[in-house]
Amino acid sequence: MPTPRLPRGLIDPLVGQLGRRGVDYADIRCERLSHENIVVENRTVKTISLLESAGVGVRVLIGGSWGFACTPDVTAAGLKRAASEAIAIAKASALINRKPLKLAPCDPVRATHRSTWAVDPFEVPLAKKLDYLMWANTELLGPNPIQRATSHMDFYRRRTYFASTEGSRIEQEFLESGAGLEVIAQHGDEVQVRSYPNSHHGALAQAGFEYVKQLDLVGGAKRIQTEVLHLLGAPAPKAGLTTIILDPTQVVMQLHESCGHPAELDRVLGQELSYAGGSFLTTDRLNNFRYGSDHVNIVADATLTGGLGSFAYDDEGVAAQRVDLVREGQFVGYLSSRECAAKLGLPRSSGAMRAERWDAPPLVRMTNVNLEPGSATLDELMRDVKHGYLLSTNKSWSIDDRRLNFQFTTEIAREITNGRRGRIVKNPLYTGITPEFWGRCTGTSNRDTWQLWGVPNCAKGEPMQLMHVGHGAPYARFDGVQIAPAT
Amino acid sequence: MIGHDRLFSELQRLLKRSDADATSICAQTSRRRVMRFAYDAIHQDLVQESITVHFKVIRDKRVGVAATDTLDRTSLHRALHAALEIAGHAPPMKHLAALPGRFDLITSQDYTAETINIPAIDIVRMVKRLFQLAKGAGAQLAGSHVVGDDERAVVNSNGVRCYAASTVAGAKLVAMYRKLSGYGSVASRQLDGLDVDGLLERALKQCLVRHDPVTLPTGEYEVLLEPEAIAELIMWMGYIAFGAKSFQEHTSCFAGRLGEKIVGREVTIVDDGNDPSLLRMPFDFEGVPKQRVTLIDRGVAANIVYDTAYGALYGQPSTGHGLPPDEIDGPAPSHMLMQPGSKTRAELIRSCKRGLLIPRFHYVSGLLNPREALMTGLTREGAFLIEDGKLTRPLATMRFTQSLLEALQHVRGISKERQLVADPAQDFGCAVMPTVHLARFRFTGRSQ
Repeated sequence: MPTPRLPRGLIDPLVGQLGRRGVDYADIRCERLSHENIVVENRTVKTISLLESAGVGVRVLIGGSWGFACTPDVTAAGLKRAASEAIAIAKASALINRKPLKLAPCDPVRATHRSTWAVDPFEVPLAKKLDYLMWANTELLGPNPIQRATSHMDFYRRRTYFASTEGSRIEQEFLESGAGLEVIAQHGDEVQVRSYPNSHHGALAQAGFEYVKQLDLVGGAKRIQTEVLHLLGAPAPKAGLTTIILDPTQVVMQLHESCGHPAELDRVLGQELSYAGGSFLTTDRLNNFRYGSDHVNIVADATLTGGLGSFAYDDEGVAAQRVDLVREGQFVGYLSSRECAAKLGLPRSSGAMRAERWDAPPLVRMTNVNLEPGSATLDELMRDVKHGYLLSTNKSWSIDDRRLNFQFTTEIAREITNGRRGRIVKNPLYTGITPEFWGRCTGTSNRDTWQLWGVPNCAKGEPMQLMHVGHGAPYARFDGVQIAPAT
Repeated sequence: MIGHDRLFSELQRLLKRSDADATSICAQTSRRRVMRFAYDAIHQDLVQESITVHFKVIRDKRVGVAATDTLDRTSLHRALHAALEIAGHAPPMKHLAALPGRFDLITSQDYTAETINIPAIDIVRMVKRLFQLAKGAGAQLAGSHVVGDDERAVVNSNGVRCYAASTVAGAKLVAMYRKLSGYGSVASRQLDGLDVDGLLERALKQCLVRHDPVTLPTGEYEVLLEPEAIAELIMWMGYIAFGAKSFQEHTSCFAGRLGEKIVGREVTIVDDGNDPSLLRMPFDFEGVPKQRVTLIDRGVAANIVYDTAYGALYGQPSTGHGLPPDEIDGPAPSHMLMQPGSKTRAELIRSCKRGLLIPRFHYVSGLLNPREALMTGLTREGAFLIEDGKLTRPLATMRFTQSLLEALQHVRGISKERQLVADPAQDFGCAVMPTVHLARFRFTGRSQ
């Protein structure tokens, strides 16, 4: 089915009218979204669903106050109503917000952008997708302890049109494709789970159906079925301080929780205090705080091809950037918006304002927050480890409201003895304090091992928005980390 | 608000248009006005309107699901057509539950126009007054204020035709003084049910303290978990243990243990979508009336909740806990109540020789080992050390890692008073919980 066009003819005149109605700034974002989700469980189709959504969000700034309103009624009358509501809200807040609010500069642009794909997944016949999922699902099933085998695919299309009173007119289109597997096995009171290629929604990237074909779900199914059965009888790790190596699937969660969120400047400035919390990366620590060891280089890179946090312009029209957050262990940068950047006296926004959909205002969000690769191979990282663990695939995550004390479990670990990978270990749990932990990073693996993953469920804001963000990571080694069995 | 006349008219028209063997259509509308503020400024003020219409069609035992986020007729027709097309290409289901049968209901008993129609300026004035009160006490303030309304309408080709409209209001406040923060939250179906002054008083009381936060060693402590703290743990149980899917997959700590005593006999938990002390909702997304289900009865694992699909699998009627048709997590309780005890909260504190008072937790995860209900999370604002029955010093952040089943086996007391716990900015799940006094709770980490 063809997707209807975005109504530029309604939006451009309205943004012009807003400019003439005396607002200090306004932007209008129109979006059309499609999400196809196919899930097979135990060789039965659990769901095949298609969600389509379209609407417009209007954001205005009057004096020191923002107002945002939205509507699914994409007509001239619907848009006018939303604009009036946004103005009324902003004017009411002026009773408190008496100082004008400054925005960091942003050059107006007229641009179009389309993410890269070869095969449009919405054009691929449903039967072909189902056949592939059934095949992988069959490979997961079999032995008695398997309680549930799930295979799934997700495809997203997002088309946006952004117009601002400063003159920007930006049209962008993004296509995301992904798939994954999960298998649960049980024997007595022992229950274990394995996922492929990653947990919590599998793998998702800005790409077409060709990405799904590259994932080799069938090969992965055989591997994780073997592993989950092994886990039922595996030992748990010994509690104590030890060396751990995180594989890229777990570095992703470590980056997300302990670097991405605390580097969001709106959190730092207190705008999430009543919900998600604050941040230990306070403004006095910018360029003045050791976040990790010299091995730790972390960037926010929205320019990367294929990442879920990639775009040409963010949702307030700022061009995509690659920004250093941590350079050789020193904390050097924030994820920011035009408003937050101005508050901190930064020359410009880092281009990280993103909204989940048309019905939500943009917030400071992660783009692709990546740990840069080092020079070692995985074998070299393990070589002088007398005893330790290689941890893979996140199972649970938790971190405090300032992003200091974290605790993660992974689905599986391999014991490392005298530099070699050994037996499978179940229920590994590790914990630490963010800067101490990154300070114990004693190496990262090279570019050949670096992997880019998508996280489609990053929660933030009131009302909560779930953002698609990306993380690139190599293997990373940490010495003297507290590990324990999750029992 | 769209209203039942228009919603039914649109949905019935679509029902007639479907040539499937069976069709179910569920519409959910939501409007939220959310203001967020911090440090003497409102930094976000918005009105969010949304509608989602889900179609589930069955044709020759094949199921198709589609949804659209608008009531625009062209989009509705596209979505229905997409559901039919998906059903045409889907393989037949081996076990397919029939759509639920006749149920007719229209209710607006929890809708108050005054709540949703409050002028923006009135909310701003209220926030300004709170800022002034906090400033007068020497503290700073952050928080959020929400008003909203919701409608749910379900029709199906078996005669279901139900509609419920409701309003909701809520506020959260974080008061900050020196190194300390205090917190309070409140939710209600009606704006005039919000006691924001009481909330501010509570938040200020927690932070206007002379002592700096004390950092305690890790280990086991006696705890008093206040309603918001225990609610978060019990709601995790709803997700990992009380639904038929986790039960069937043996990941639930209830699997194989129904009828067994699993926690202390002081603990009784029910789910009741019709209880007026909750943000009640009389039917689920399939149009099945909500049943009162006793999940834990005086310490014994009693029942789980079903939707039509899992009910058919277990030969049980649906208990009215079905989710939208594109959700795959299975049925889940969303209106849980813990039975109250006989002591007051103050008496529970007085009876504690040495322990921790915890108003709420932060970032709880119940995914560590669901079979044992092993959970982790952290304390946040307002936690205090109790010594000789008195609150003495505020606590620095601590992490717990604890099996909830194990913790609830050692209940010292449950308060008479209970509180509604809900996040009005979101639209799913609430609980009414007392303060629970537990003999042992394992703390495994600290933030400082």
